[in-house]
This record gives sequence, C-alpha cells and structure tokens, in this order.
Amino acid sequence: MNNKNEKKETQQPNEGQENQSGIVQKIQQLGQSNVAQAPDSNVHVLTIIGQIEGHVQLPPQNKTTKYEHLLPQLIAIEQNPKIEGLVILLNTVGGDVEAGLALSEMIASMSKPTVSIVLGGGHSIGVPIAVAANHSFIAPTATMTIHPVRLTGLVIGVPQTFEYLDKMQERVIDFVVNHSNIKEEKFKELMFAKGNLTRDIGTNVVGTNAVDYGLIDGIGGVKEAMQKVNELIDKNKDMDEQVIQ
Amino acid sequence: MILYTPLSQEDIFPTANSSYNNRQFISYEGRSVYAEQMEDGSYQLLQLMSTDPQDFLDEKFTPGSILS
Repeated sequence: MNNKNEKKETQQPNEGQENQSGIVQKIQQLGQSNVAQAPDSNVHVLTIIGQIEGHVQLPPQNKTTKYEHLLPQLIAIEQNPKIEGLVILLNTVGGDVEAGLALSEMIASMSKPTVSIVLGGGHSIGVPIAVAANHSFIAPTATMTIHPVRLTGLVIGVPQTFEYLDKMQERVIDFVVNHSNIKEEKFKELMFAKGNLTRDIGTNVVGTNAVDYGLIDGIGGVKEAMQKVNELIDKNKDMDEQVIQ
Repeated sequence: MILYTPLSQEDIFPTANSSYNNRQFISYEGRSVYAEQMEDGSYQLLQLMSTDPQDFLDEKFTPGSILS
C-alpha cells in the first residue's frame, strides 16, 4: 500500500530509475529479467518431492511433500471443469506408508486422465503413487527401490506389530499389482531379493527394467507424458460425446 | 579439532532447527506458499504450492520474490 503511494508521488522524476531498479530486483530474484507468459493450462501438474510426510511432522531439514496439502488439491482438480488432465512428477525417497497409500488411492480414483513421470527416483512408497496414474512413465536414468516395509523405534507387542506391518506390506503389494502389469510373484521376488542393496534386502530397479517387469508403462519424459495426457483427454471427450448422443 | 571423516559436514554439525522457525505456510493471493519471514518483517517466497503450471510463470510467485 505504502509503496503505491510513494510511486504516485515520485512518478515523474524517478520513473526511469524505478524501472531500472525493478529490472535489477528481478535479476536478483530470478537471475533473469523476463519470464514467458502463456495462456491458461488445461493440464495441471502435481509434484511429489522429498519425503512423503504423514502422521509425524519431520524435522525441517527434510524436504517433504505433505499429504494434507495434496489431498484437497486433488479434489480441486477433480472438480474444476477447466482442468482436463493431471501430470504427476515424482522424485521421492518414500515416506509414510499410509500417507502414500492415501495419495495413491486418491490419484487412482480420479475421473480425469492422470499420467505420472518418475524422474530421478521414485522409491518405496513412491512406487504405488507412480502406478496409481492411468499411464506411468519413467526416465531412463530414474530408479525405483523396492524393499519391505520397515519400522523404527520402540515396539510394544512384537507379534502383533509384526502382523500389522505384514498387513501393511500386503496392502502396498496389492495396490501395485492391481494398478500395474507386474505379477505379484515378480514384485515379491524384487522386494525380497538378497545381495542387490548393500545393507538391505530388495532391488533397485532402473528405468528400462521397471518397464520390462511391467511395473511402469513406458520409458519417457515430459514430451511423452504430455502426448499421452492429451491423447487420454481426447479419448475422454469422445466418450462423453457418445454418452450424450 | 581436526576432523578426518567421510561424513558430510551436515551430518556432524546439523543445522539448528531454530533457523527454520521463521518459515511458514501462508496464503498469498489465493495460493498457498511457503515463505520465510525476514528480519524487516516482510516475507520472502520459498516455495509455491500450486498445481497450475501457469502459476509458476507468474512473476509474483517466483521463488525469492518479496510478498507485498
């Protein structure tokens, strides 16, 4: 508010100077003076980065994706008639199982076309999120670590906790098997493989292998994902028209 | 003290949590943003929480900009 008044008062003598300082400020902020402008997009982008944060708030050094931020956004995307498709960008190290499953179920139950791209890494609980989309892509250099669900901290009632964890793992496996082309046996084999990870059981699946196993639908990046989402949007529109007729 | 270790600096001397105390999620022009309150009381945008890719081309929401 104050700034505006000041601007008005000093507009004429300082106009040139102010213009220049505006550019300087922009360069300080962005490292460049101009940013491209474009019309409204019918495809929205959801980035899932760092840790998937669930019931426990993580220390601030961690980069996290908070599921309570994403769930309402997914509803908003579903409801907004101007948004026709969704691209999900994944570069995550995993995190809370139930938060990850919540996101996966939300994405899987959307009526609008969804396409996911795994960039860098889509580890652990990132796997169900990646396969939750209608079509999934993985960058050739990206990896997905598949390993059993684990727990750290104090455990009260070992057999019960073990059973609980086992059920939780079963939910993850079921979700992945139901939403991708991988066979349950193959996924479990990857999950419990020995000798692949230095201090753990599991497998680090690289881009092309993930596609070979049927876990991910294709190798690709932005271009392929945008092509696919537009193709799915067109298909959706055709279906709607048929229903109307 | 001389350290000779493969651990990173951050593992041995973690950043104090208090240095993140002035960071918070706030609502700005209808969008949720993660911003840091600076010494003069103004907010500097750190991260924009939006699914609209066009928002990221909006100068108002570029990281580092001062919220007014």
